[in-house]
Amino acid sequence: MQLLKPARLLMTLVAVTGLAGAPAWADDDPIRIGAIYILSGSAANYGKFAQQGIQLAIDEINQDGGVMGRDLEVITEDSQGKASVAIQAARKLVYQDQADVLMGLDSSGVAQGLVPVMPELKKPLIITHAATPDVTGKLCNAYTYRISNNVAQNMKAAAIIAGETGAKRWTTIGPDYAFGHQSWEFFGKALKEANPDVELMSDTAFPRFGAEDFTPFINGVMAAKPDGVLISVWGGDLVNFVRQANNLGFFEQDMEIMFTVGAATEVLSALGEQMPEGVWLSTRYWYDGFDNDVNKRFVSAYIDRYGVPPSYNAEGAYAAVYAYKKAIESAGSTDGDKLAQTLSGMSLDAPNGTIAFRAGDHQALVGPNWGKSGPMNEKHGIRTLADLRIFDGEKVSRTIEETGCQL
Amino acid sequence: MKQTILLGALLVALIGLVALPWFAPYFYIFIVTEILIMGLFAASFNLVFGYTGMLSFGHAAFFGVGCYATAMTLLHLKWPFLYCLVLSVGAGALLALVIGFFSVRLNEVYFAMLTLAFGMMVFSVAHHWRSVTNGSDGIAGFTLGDFGLGLDLTLGNPAVYYHVVLVFVVVAAAVLYLIGRSSFGMILQAIRQNPERVAFCGLNVRSYRLAAFTLGGAFAGLAGGLMAPFLRVASPEMLHWSTSAEPVLMSILGGTGYFLGPFVGSAMFILLETWITSITQAWMLFLGIVLALMVMFFRRGLLGTFLDWWLERK
Repeated sequence: MQLLKPARLLMTLVAVTGLAGAPAWADDDPIRIGAIYILSGSAANYGKFAQQGIQLAIDEINQDGGVMGRDLEVITEDSQGKASVAIQAARKLVYQDQADVLMGLDSSGVAQGLVPVMPELKKPLIITHAATPDVTGKLCNAYTYRISNNVAQNMKAAAIIAGETGAKRWTTIGPDYAFGHQSWEFFGKALKEANPDVELMSDTAFPRFGAEDFTPFINGVMAAKPDGVLISVWGGDLVNFVRQANNLGFFEQDMEIMFTVGAATEVLSALGEQMPEGVWLSTRYWYDGFDNDVNKRFVSAYIDRYGVPPSYNAEGAYAAVYAYKKAIESAGSTDGDKLAQTLSGMSLDAPNGTIAFRAGDHQALVGPNWGKSGPMNEKHGIRTLADLRIFDGEKVSRTIEETGCQL
Repeated sequence: MKQTILLGALLVALIGLVALPWFAPYFYIFIVTEILIMGLFAASFNLVFGYTGMLSFGHAAFFGVGCYATAMTLLHLKWPFLYCLVLSVGAGALLALVIGFFSVRLNEVYFAMLTLAFGMMVFSVAHHWRSVTNGSDGIAGFTLGDFGLGLDLTLGNPAVYYHVVLVFVVVAAAVLYLIGRSSFGMILQAIRQNPERVAFCGLNVRSYRLAAFTLGGAFAGLAGGLMAPFLRVASPEMLHWSTSAEPVLMSILGGTGYFLGPFVGSAMFILLETWITSITQAWMLFLGIVLALMVMFFRRGLLGTFLDWWLERK
């Protein structure tokens, strides 16, 4: 127990300075945003794009005089894609770094773990990427919001497209955690409702998230000869998957192929021409799909600064910072409870149009963007999206009763 | 004289721990809660390693099973917390009894490999049995109800939970300490030093090793049970061999020769992790350097080296 002594001395020191400093963090201190993203491993690129989106928004706002005269500041933590790490990070951000608001989350598994803890932390959380329907469904609570679309919304849209293709026998390849399994579950439910004669095959493939070798899964699906395949593999995994699928001739088969998060620009720029033409790709936000002033300004500022078009993760993070700006200004306070109440039902002009957090479940009613991979955009080094369809958020969202959310 | 000073230092440390929520920054309640739980985990490992001389690489299996037991009972059955903990201890002990039955007959590297293999089997089950363990997402979203025994405690309050953990860890540590000092504990230490000789004395070495292994599993199960409400999730990573490595590292950092060594190691490990990760992401690199230095120059660990030096000083 000897070691604890200097440690405790240090703690006391920190405590004393902390207490003495307390009245000082009044009005000229920055407002702190705590962000939690994946910054290491195969999906680390998503965290990088989110950080860029946040930084762009913060710099714009601070240049413009900040929020209620105070600057914004971000502190970012790595979730490593693990719920336990993210929960510890959230506690550190709130109690140690004095973050006023939280945002982020890239993984459904992480979201399912962290969201139930939010009422203890008493700070609002805007989820900008993680898509499990549960956190704006049966796990919903007063502090948790989501600005990006969720699996239920995206799969409803996917089922509409799948129904139009006329393919009858469907299977899936998805990561072996909440996201992959829930994507298949919600896709199947929506597809079956609209087209009772489709067959949902029992031959499905769920490789481990972060698996390097997808060959056995690709071969397995080709051997089963489905008419359509729903692929919810994402991140670095998706890059590996597409390269291996190319080698195995997966895309030359007579199948409809739908990538549920395939139009993430992180993935498209890594793949370039290796992403085949003519497959269905979805994204939460396509930078070229919105003809409004906010989007024009955002996309050109983003490309100027970082040299690449913004991904949906960058857009979600950027929009969340502006959502907090608006909420803090209308609440006139950074108090966690007040902000959480203000966000409910609040709408704002985001790059993907005017969006609102529905009061009943705190889910933003945003529609997914689906398109077919088209010719290369040589300037940006990525595939374009042809036949782009921006779904109406209201039409693809579950009703409050269906979500099972009770606030 | 030195005994008195040691006892006094221990008492001061204990008072400091009890009073912690009133003087330390709020965040350190979480840090010290984690230190205490991981310290108990490491101490349970040290009963197997430091006392009995069996290097197990599968100790996380018992810790993780304890964590799952509490998390799943809280989620599905909503039992009072105390009963969940009893279940965790039982689950840890039972699993250790089964794995130990096959493992303790082997020695050295064969024992280490066998425990590693069993540990990874348990990990695989948790990772793949999605309908029961929820696969790689783990068990989350459970709520804390009553403590049990009619005590009115708000377990969701981190300061309250810290004190609950402190009481459990201190009592468990005291029991572990007494086990180590008992004639049973003496036999375990004799087995570490010379198993043949113990066997020639007419004692069944294998049963003693199995008993030590099972006891270690029971206390690891308790540590796991305490971890579930703290982390708010029971995930397969807690059963992974890399989690099994943590008590090994903690025991070596603190020193395996003294009872409190693993607790000191746990404090070093978690404080270093917290401080270094706030500066750089490459904390494992620094841990590697610290560990290499410790093994080269302070083989008895931080507490061990200090106490050896201090107790021998005239």
